[in-house]
Amino acid sequence: MILDAHGHIGAWPDFLIPDPSAGGLVAMMDRLGIAAMGISDLLGVGPDAVEGNRRAFEAAAEHPGRFGVWQVYNPHHRTPLTDRPGVWGVKLHPDVHQCRLDDPLYEPVFALGLPVLAHGQTDSPWSDPAQFAAVAARHPEVPLLMGHTGLWPYGFARAARLVADHPGVLLEVCGSKITGRWISRLAALAGAERVVYGSDACFLDLRAGLGRVALAPLAETDRDLILGGNLARVLGGRLA
Amino acid sequence: MPFDDLPADPRPDMDRLGIEAACVTHTLSLYADPAAGNEALSALDDPRLIPVPVVVPGVPGASVPATLDEVLDWDVRLVRLCPERHRFELTGPVALRWLAAMAARDLPVAVDLEETSPAALRTLAAEIPDLRVLLLNPGYRRLRAVAELMATVPNLWLEIGTVNTQRGVEWLAERYGADRLVFGTGAPVLDDCGPRFLLDHLELGAAEVELIASGALRRLM
Repeated sequence: MILDAHGHIGAWPDFLIPDPSAGGLVAMMDRLGIAAMGISDLLGVGPDAVEGNRRAFEAAAEHPGRFGVWQVYNPHHRTPLTDRPGVWGVKLHPDVHQCRLDDPLYEPVFALGLPVLAHGQTDSPWSDPAQFAAVAARHPEVPLLMGHTGLWPYGFARAARLVADHPGVLLEVCGSKITGRWISRLAALAGAERVVYGSDACFLDLRAGLGRVALAPLAETDRDLILGGNLARVLGGRLA
Repeated sequence: MPFDDLPADPRPDMDRLGIEAACVTHTLSLYADPAAGNEALSALDDPRLIPVPVVVPGVPGASVPATLDEVLDWDVRLVRLCPERHRFELTGPVALRWLAAMAARDLPVAVDLEETSPAALRTLAAEIPDLRVLLLNPGYRRLRAVAELMATVPNLWLEIGTVNTQRGVEWLAERYGADRLVFGTGAPVLDDCGPRFLLDHLELGAAEVELIASGALRRLM
């Protein structure tokens, strides 16, 4: 079963996304054999988390079982969160919100205990992998997905090292700079059970993201873990 | 090179991914001495690796190769320009003279978008409308500007390895034609797995996919 840990719907101001629709994602997921995707609405990542979360839940309701919702939490607005069915967890974007991942403003999120998917970016003042290690030390019981594994290739190995002793942290591998070869390397560095497939679609093309794992030089057992096994273990009963 | 994960030989990955042939530029041409890289490239003797030497237009004593005539005598089907890396003016008088001569010989050029700008490419097209240009690594964040180029520069082809936003390739194919889109990866520095998988799963007709896979590049070269 293929599960996509990192997805979005909606437009983004920085560039043109030719197809930002939920329906377009589901049609492509059907063709590629992707069972479900965790999404946040890009409006929610941006200025309006409440409305973005409403849109994400609406898309999930329109396509039962195909979308889990990563509710966006804006630390400045203390966005209301829920643990209703269909929730996969909480999405944090420390860079967009300009609030460090290890800032106490996020403590209400980690106190909930829901899985957390956070943007991770090496050398960012907001989301450097070292901050994932710091948060994981405070909340070892919270599953924490490091989005993009730090984004920049020069930081991938360091990211894996920094969270090696924090088994609650998983390395999520979407991003335009990562390669299939690096995904294989991360599986060797961190263990395949710590690596999770995500695409970042519709922000990025779903096929390019899946292809990086599908065609990476990996053992098939490792590929299965990365493509869905690890995320299914984290989500447990949250999967519809 | 600032990487520690690059294979010395691209062919095993090409075999694994079902890539029959690849246009290649030598590492030395990009990271050291352009002339030495071209020399090493010319020593390759494998039809799967199609040589794309770099050209550095310049005044006598500053160019690679030493003269324009050498470029025109090369038995190659595509050359690469790196105006930023090699610090020359793509639309300066010397480059325009060299490129006009190459256009007259029907020799196309490849240039990375990060090595130039849409404005420079428009100027180049206005000065030398017959010059055929393959734009490498256009990315996805500048899709609007790239689309404007495709709409206004008919002799521009686009490499799609980094056109990485949802259904971006189809969006371009519908507007400007699959015959102007070229499969590429940028490997081994950039990813080859994603673009290769994308090629197999494009939501286009078989004839269009074939054009992107190889037909458009064959025609360009």
